[in-house]
Amino acid sequence: MLLLLNVLNMEKVIEVKNLVKEYGALTAVKGTSFDVYKGEIFGLLGENGAGKTTSLEIIEGLRPATSGSIKVLSHVMPKELREIKRKIGVQLQSSAYYNHLKLSEILALFAKFYNVEVNPIELLKIVHLESKKDAFVSQLSGGQKQRFSIVASLVNDPEIVFLDEPTTGLDPVARRNLWGLIKEIRERGKTVILTTHYMEEAEILCDRIAIMDQGRIIAYDKTNNLIKKADYPYSVSFESDKDENKIIKALIDFGKLSQPGKKNHYVLKMKDSGKLGKVIDVVKTFAPIGLAIRPASLEDVFIELTGRTIENSL
Amino acid sequence: MFSLIIANLKMMVRNKQALFWSMVFPIIFTVIFGFFFGSGTMNLGTVELVNKSNSKISASLEKVLKEQSDIFKIEEQPSVDKAKDQINKGKAGAAVVIPENFGANTPDAATKITILTDPGAAQTASAVEGVVGGFLTSTNYQVTGIQPVFSFETEAANSSSSGFNYFDFVLVGLIGMAMMNSAVQGLAISISRYREDQILKRITTTPLPGWKFIVAEVIAQLIENIVQIGLIIFVGVQFFHAHVGHVVPLLIISLVAALLFQLVGFFIAAVTKNSDAAEGMATAITIPMMFLSGVFFPIDSLPKWLYNIVQILPLSPLLKMMRSVSLLGGSVLDNLIHVWIVLGWIVVMLLLTIWRFRLSDE
Repeated sequence: MLLLLNVLNMEKVIEVKNLVKEYGALTAVKGTSFDVYKGEIFGLLGENGAGKTTSLEIIEGLRPATSGSIKVLSHVMPKELREIKRKIGVQLQSSAYYNHLKLSEILALFAKFYNVEVNPIELLKIVHLESKKDAFVSQLSGGQKQRFSIVASLVNDPEIVFLDEPTTGLDPVARRNLWGLIKEIRERGKTVILTTHYMEEAEILCDRIAIMDQGRIIAYDKTNNLIKKADYPYSVSFESDKDENKIIKALIDFGKLSQPGKKNHYVLKMKDSGKLGKVIDVVKTFAPIGLAIRPASLEDVFIELTGRTIENSL
Repeated sequence: MFSLIIANLKMMVRNKQALFWSMVFPIIFTVIFGFFFGSGTMNLGTVELVNKSNSKISASLEKVLKEQSDIFKIEEQPSVDKAKDQINKGKAGAAVVIPENFGANTPDAATKITILTDPGAAQTASAVEGVVGGFLTSTNYQVTGIQPVFSFETEAANSSSSGFNYFDFVLVGLIGMAMMNSAVQGLAISISRYREDQILKRITTTPLPGWKFIVAEVIAQLIENIVQIGLIIFVGVQFFHAHVGHVVPLLIISLVAALLFQLVGFFIAAVTKNSDAAEGMATAITIPMMFLSGVFFPIDSLPKWLYNIVQILPLSPLLKMMRSVSLLGGSVLDNLIHVWIVLGWIVVMLLLTIWRFRLSDE
C-alpha cells in the first residue's frame, strides 16, 4: 500500500498516450502509452525494429507522430517543442560530432545553442575525459565516444536525459563503466530514459521497463515485478553424460525441460519452489557437472512474452 | 550564431582536404597560367636559325629575328640536318634556313628562304612566318624602289582594356572557378557529411533555429571566399604581374556568384543520399561548367549552337560580368541579359533548395 501511494505521489515527467507512427503502409508504433516518473531510470526494451528509437525520437521532437498525445515536463508536444528542447538532453544512436573541432570546443559550441556558458573541463571530468579536451572525436575509442556523447547531452543541465542504445557495440568493461555513469547522472537528480536490447543492462539499470515488440508495448512495470511475474520463477541447469532418455523421463514432470545448447546440457524451468529439493536429489543421481539453481531473469520473461530470444532475431 | 561562424571557420582551416580544394587548387592554376602567360609575354619556345649566307640582307634578317626575344628565342645551327634534328626532338618549334648567297649582289644569288615547321607548334610557325614575311615584304619594296601605299595599325577596342592580356582574362576566370568549386563542392560535401554523421539531427535536438545554422554556414563560406579572392589576386599580381583593374566591383560580383553556388551546394546536399553521391554530383556539375563557361577561353568562339546553350549556364554570365566590371571598367547594367540570367538562377535554386532542403530526416 505504501509503495502504491509512493507511485501515485511521483511526478510524471513524460506522458505518452496512444502514440501511433505510420510510414506509408508500415506502422512502426501501434498505439503505445506509458509514463516516466521524475528521477527514475526508465527503459524501453526490445529487439531492433521494435519501435524503440522511433518512439524515443518522437518524444524528443525529432519526428512528428501520426496520432496520440505527448507531454514532456507538462509541455504539450509539438506545440511547446522549443520549451521542451531547452529542458531535455539527447544522445542519438551512434551519433557523431563535428570531426574538426576539439572536444572542449564542441561542448562550448553546443552550450551556445542553448544560450548558456559551460566550463568544458568540468563537464569532461564527469566522464573522465578531461585529459582529452584537445582531442578530436575521431581520436577516441568506442567507449570514450559514447561517454563524450552522453556528456554532450548534459551541456544545458537538462531535467530529462534521453539515451538511445548507449552501450551498443561496447566491450563488457566499457559497458559497465557506462552503467556507472548513467547511475551517476540519475544521482544528479535527472530522469533518464534509455533504449536497449540488452536484457542484462535493462535488469541492472532500469527502475521500470516497457518491453516493446513489433510496435506494441507487451509488458510495462517495475523491473523486479516483471521478473516476479515470470511463469517459471526458477530454473535448474546442469550437464550430464548419462543416458538422455532416462534423464528426460525422470525430470519431465517437474517443469519445462529443454536442451538450449550442447546435447548434454539440460535446463529445467520450474513453477514451484517447493519441489526444488526433490529435483536436486534426482539430478544428483545423474552425476551432474556445473549444477546451478537460479531465479528467473528478465531474459526469461522476454522469451516467455515473445516466444523468442533477442539474440536469435538479431 | 557568432560562435558557430567561428567554429565553422576553425573546421575549414583544420580540414586539410577541403582546404586543398578551396585554396591550393586555384593557386596552382594561377601559378601554371602565370608561368605560361604571365608578364604579358607570349613565349613560343625556340626557333632554329641556319644562316649560310653572309650578305647584308641575311645579316639584317638575322638581327630582326633575334629582336623577337619576347616571342621566341633564336638558336643558331651550322646545318639543316642539325636544325631538323632539334625540331624532331621537340627542342624547337620551327627553323629558318637562309641558303648560301641569299641576297648577295650576283645574278644567280639564291632568293628563297625555307621555313621548317612542326605541326605540333603551329603558333610558332605562324609567328616565324609573320616575322620573315614582313621582313621580306619591306626588303622587296626597298629593292624595287616602291613606296608602300597601304598600312595598318593595331589598337585595343576599349581604351580602358589596353594593357590587359590573356593572363588577366584567365585570372578573373580562375576567381569565378574558385567561387564555384568551393561553394558547390565544399557545401555539398560538408552538409551531406553532417547529415551522415547525424550532426544535423543532433543540432535539431537543441533549441538552435535552423536558419541560424544555415546563415552561419553561408557567412563562414563567404569569409573563406574573400580570402580565396585575395590570395588569387595576390599571387597573380605579385608574381606574374597581372592586372585586375577595378577590384571592389569584381569582389561584389564574385560574392554574388558564391551565394548562387552555395544554393547549388545546399540543393545537392538535399537531394543526394550520402556524401559520396554528393561529391559525384558536385563534380559532374562543376567540371563541365569549368570548361564551357569561359574560365580559360572566351565562349564567343564556340560554335553557335553550343554557345546558345553554354551562355545560360550560371557561371557564363557571371564571368562576363566579372570581366566587364574589372577589366573593361564597365557596369553590370551594360548587358542586362546577364543580370536576368543570374537572377533567374538565384530564384530557381532558392525555390528548389527551400523545397528540398531539411535539417532533419522528416
